Amino acid sequence: MSAAGPAVVVAAGLAGVGALAGVFLPERWQPRLAPRRLRASVVGVCTAGLGAAGLVAGAAALGGARWSADLPGLLPLAGVHLAVDALSGLFMAVAGAVVLAVAVYGIGYAGHGTDARGVQAVLPVFALSLVLVPAAASVSSFLLLWELMAVTSLVLVLAEHRERASVREAGVWYAVMTHLGLVLLLAGLMLFAARAGGETFTVLRAGAGGMSPQARGTVFVLVSAAFASKAGMVPLHAWLPRAHPEAPSHVSALMSAAMVNLGAYGIVRVGFDLLGGGPRWWWLMVLGGGAVSAVYGILQAAMASDLKRLLAYSTSENLGLVFIGVGAAGMFADAGNQKLAALALTAALLHVVNHAAFKALLFCAAGSVLRATGLRDLDQLGGLRAKMPATAGLFTVGALGAVALPPGNGFVSEWLLLQSLIHGFAVPGVTTAIVLPLAVAAIALSAGLAAAVFVKALGVGFFARPRSDQAAAATESPPSMLAGMGLLAAGCAALALVPGVLGDGLSRAAAAAGVTGGTILSGGSLEVRLDRISTVLSPLWVAAALVAGVLAVSALTRLVSRRRRRTNARLWDCGGGAPTARMAYTATSFAEPLQRVFDDVLAPEQDVDVTPVRESAYLVERVRFQRRVPDRIEHRLYRPVLAALSGAGQAARRLAGGSVHLYLGYGFFGLVALLVALTVIQ
Amino acid sequence: MSESAYTQLLDLAAGLFLLAAVFVLWRRELTAIVRIFALQGVALFAIAALLGVHEERWDLLAVAAGIGALRAGVLPHLMRRALAASGETRETQPLVNVAASLLTAAALTLLAYAVSRPLVELDPSPATRALPVGLAVVLIGFFTLVTRRRALSQVVGFLLLDNGITAVAFLAASGVPLIVELGVSFDVLLAVLVLQILTTRMRAAFGRTDIDDLRELRD
Amino acid sequence: MNAVGTAAVAAQVVLVTAGAPLLTGLMRQVRARMEGRAGAGIGQPWRDFRKLLRKEPITPVGTGPAFRTAPLLLVATAAVIAALVPLASTATPVSRNADLIVVVALLALGTVALALAGLDTGTAFGGMGASREMTVIALVEPTILLAVFALSIPAGTTNLPAIIAGRIHDPARLASPAGLLAAVALAVVTLAETGRLPVDNPSTHLELTMIHEAMILEYAGPDLALVELGAQMRLTVLLGLLASLFAPWGIATSASVAAVVLAFVLFAVKVALLGAALAAAEVFWAKLRLFRVPELLAGSFLLALLAVTASYFLTGE
Repeated sequence: MSAAGPAVVVAAGLAGVGALAGVFLPERWQPRLAPRRLRASVVGVCTAGLGAAGLVAGAAALGGARWSADLPGLLPLAGVHLAVDALSGLFMAVAGAVVLAVAVYGIGYAGHGTDARGVQAVLPVFALSLVLVPAAASVSSFLLLWELMAVTSLVLVLAEHRERASVREAGVWYAVMTHLGLVLLLAGLMLFAARAGGETFTVLRAGAGGMSPQARGTVFVLVSAAFASKAGMVPLHAWLPRAHPEAPSHVSALMSAAMVNLGAYGIVRVGFDLLGGGPRWWWLMVLGGGAVSAVYGILQAAMASDLKRLLAYSTSENLGLVFIGVGAAGMFADAGNQKLAALALTAALLHVVNHAAFKALLFCAAGSVLRATGLRDLDQLGGLRAKMPATAGLFTVGALGAVALPPGNGFVSEWLLLQSLIHGFAVPGVTTAIVLPLAVAAIALSAGLAAAVFVKALGVGFFARPRSDQAAAATESPPSMLAGMGLLAAGCAALALVPGVLGDGLSRAAAAAGVTGGTILSGGSLEVRLDRISTVLSPLWVAAALVAGVLAVSALTRLVSRRRRRTNARLWDCGGGAPTARMAYTATSFAEPLQRVFDDVLAPEQDVDVTPVRESAYLVERVRFQRRVPDRIEHRLYRPVLAALSGAGQAARRLAGGSVHLYLGYGFFGLVALLVALTVIQ
Repeated sequence: MSESAYTQLLDLAAGLFLLAAVFVLWRRELTAIVRIFALQGVALFAIAALLGVHEERWDLLAVAAGIGALRAGVLPHLMRRALAASGETRETQPLVNVAASLLTAAALTLLAYAVSRPLVELDPSPATRALPVGLAVVLIGFFTLVTRRRALSQVVGFLLLDNGITAVAFLAASGVPLIVELGVSFDVLLAVLVLQILTTRMRAAFGRTDIDDLRELRD
Repeated sequence: MNAVGTAAVAAQVVLVTAGAPLLTGLMRQVRARMEGRAGAGIGQPWRDFRKLLRKEPITPVGTGPAFRTAPLLLVATAAVIAALVPLASTATPVSRNADLIVVVALLALGTVALALAGLDTGTAFGGMGASREMTVIALVEPTILLAVFALSIPAGTTNLPAIIAGRIHDPARLASPAGLLAAVALAVVTLAETGRLPVDNPSTHLELTMIHEAMILEYAGPDLALVELGAQMRLTVLLGLLASLFAPWGIATSASVAAVVLAFVLFAVKVALLGAALAAAEVFWAKLRLFRVPELLAGSFLLALLAVTASYFLTGE
């Protein structure tokens, strides 16, 4: 009897308890006792339990267990169908682990609206939906859980709407885009269900073979557009850099590390499993979108000086890498090479896991900073490593994963992804010969830019001296926040050093998606074994070698050098007086060379506003300089669409004459015309 | 009850039903309109009761009694009270003059007959043959709603619409489930109450209940 | 086999560490002679290293752990790369782990550590150096990985000893268009990664022109000694990698002591020749403006891309 079923039930139960606790419990204990935040603690504990249950269920499924449940009474007309296999188990485990750590973190992350009844009550429900969406096994249950996830996350994003006006704007963008995605998803899945003759996934799987290629193509395009929007793919990404900075940090962590993964899950599930693979153009589309998102996302992150916006764009980049892997897997499967397809899909799934770990950690650390200083702007931060050493250290662990360099965990999955693309040359065809090198180039460019981005975030934000009073007054976070971040850092370290333990689980997940290639990874290291020669990466060896090297060098230096004690000295100031904190490089100045190199892509806007003195136009009273790097895709794509819609709306106002008779008349004439048409047609 | 008697009585009730709708279009005095509406309620009760007796169903008779009470009793009473409070007596010039309205009513009746032909052919029985009447009353009620100026006339038009739908439901399917009928009745009651409040407010704001005054609200 | 292999790896690390300053001295001497100066002698970098080690260690006020650990990490990464790259023998205990992508990533790790140290000082110079260095590194990544791609196609793997062994046994790969294009691309990469002309001038201290020097401006004493050693070791290792990939004759593929010793001698000769050639070329080159460097790197990217596609179209898969 596997643990998956009971774990899911426990998770659902805890979600209910947590939601009720959020609604009914008071915010604090009686003031006589120590002022503990009662509501937040109880809800946090329930949500953490929920996460643990999700993790257990997912791990059981990754170990080979399967579970399914049919609840016809729960939803009228359709019933709720749940099924857990290895693929859904992977995503459930990731979501569960992130929820566990973030819930512990959220207990300490206080105030400014995150303590409100509505927000606390909705948090366990959101977490439950994150854990259950991969377990949905019919169209209606999937859509129900998807919409539940969207609505609860919207409430959470709007948690701090009383504080800032930008939160409302972010909420509107998020709501509109997520529901547009829902409409596309609904259309695609309904078409699929209609053609396949049923709505449970089993029926869809069986009926997909009988559908015409045009129908399958339409379904895939609609569905992948919706999932790509959820994953933050360019050009449907506009909600991501708006919603993430404005949401409370633990909610941003949940969204970035657990929710966007479900976009990747959806494409793998529908494209590989339900539709049973497809022609090459599908996967070229996915791969192309992923490559463009990876490069564009990290480029925008390089320009961002708002820490959370930077992390949000970095999410877009990492999901782009995942999509490159998924697209490559599809192309290889279409060409018949199952082993390579399994390798590429395994790489993509491993990157999902790694990204969840380090991105959640980064967002939590950013939340720590935000809570301590009230600032998100890197230009005004600085010097935090002295005031908040634990947070700085944890941010370093996350940043090491994000820059994809050894001994971080991002390097492992990126290495595997590159291996799958490099070995992809075994697949014949001119398309692969052109696409694969370009994909490798895109991955490389995004990796290089990611290094620049996280050096900026870490160096400008945490090192040197504080550039504002708030940064100088920062204090370390409370223990619960540090505990949550510590759990995530432990996860990052485990994934970085012994990724091979996931090997069997990942192979099972790829097999559940329909791509059977045998076990690719094994042991503590990653061993890629294809037809001819195997390549090996042993992250533990690399980390050990580096540590040994550092220790050896430091020991040798100490032995050889004469004087041991370090003295302090002044910084080199060119004889012009002590350097102030204002002289240090800010995030904007750090990114300036990159912005110049990519000037054509970014198109920064510059405004110089000169106010002359009233009496004479030659004397200047004030000069105002403003420079922004806008999101160019938003400018070029979204603004015309929004302007057209606004124009259409204004034109439609002329239809509303103000007379009630006119409005009633519209209805009456519509009805009569319909009836006349009916008679005539018959 | 014999088949021929049943058929004749049913046709009589249906004819009265339709005639009441036409008279609402013809008459100008608001009190007369309310009285005609009450009469239509009675006709509706007769249709439902005849059906109940013919098919020997007690629930149908109970529903018929309820409907009759509501539409021939409660609603006209509420409307008379609103009328007394407002103190108006006549409908002002409607958007479409009386002659044209009556011609339109004729055209709508023909349309109703044309549209319901396939429905009638599905199951020819005395009840379904009277179906077009219900649909005609729906269309005439909608037309009244569109073209009258006074709020009260529009309420009557809305209620004609609902009467017609109820008649179609009874004639085609021997009534709708009780819960649906209850729900619809509550809705109708609520609509009338709301419209009564609206009429009072309009009179307080404008001094009369001419719907066209609401145009001033648009910017 | 194990003993010889282990000894070869240890000897590689020691030789690179000891020989890196000598190589730099040689390059400076060649350059001096070509410029008509007497030069300071080949041993000067070693003398500088000893002098710096004897000075007192200094921590500038306001810097933190990143500043103190960066020199250690720089030298450590260079040492690990020296152990991994098969400079003398392809049959070592670490051959299994010697992946070309890992080598590239370790180089980037060293650069990132130094950039963080530059930012940690909080001075304008440090930030400037870090910012420029990260720009160059970001733009060099595509070239490096495509060159790796091109080199791994004929061998079917990214494992360095396997690639080099393949190139030893099949010399046609060396002279193929793909091989030559990859060689040129990797040469440009070497210049960019080690901060040599025309990308960066290693002996300038003008703020208009500094990239690498700006990041390490605050270092003094033993820290500076380690930073300089690290930079020299990176240069040696990269030149060694170029030599191993594009002139692999002499690298021992078996475990015999004689072959390994011969391989070491040949390695020293090859690297010395490459270094001298580079120094001679530098005499005639001027440093590029910072914003012309992306053009150079784009050109090398194009060469690497052509290497990959040529490899495909010529092997005809």
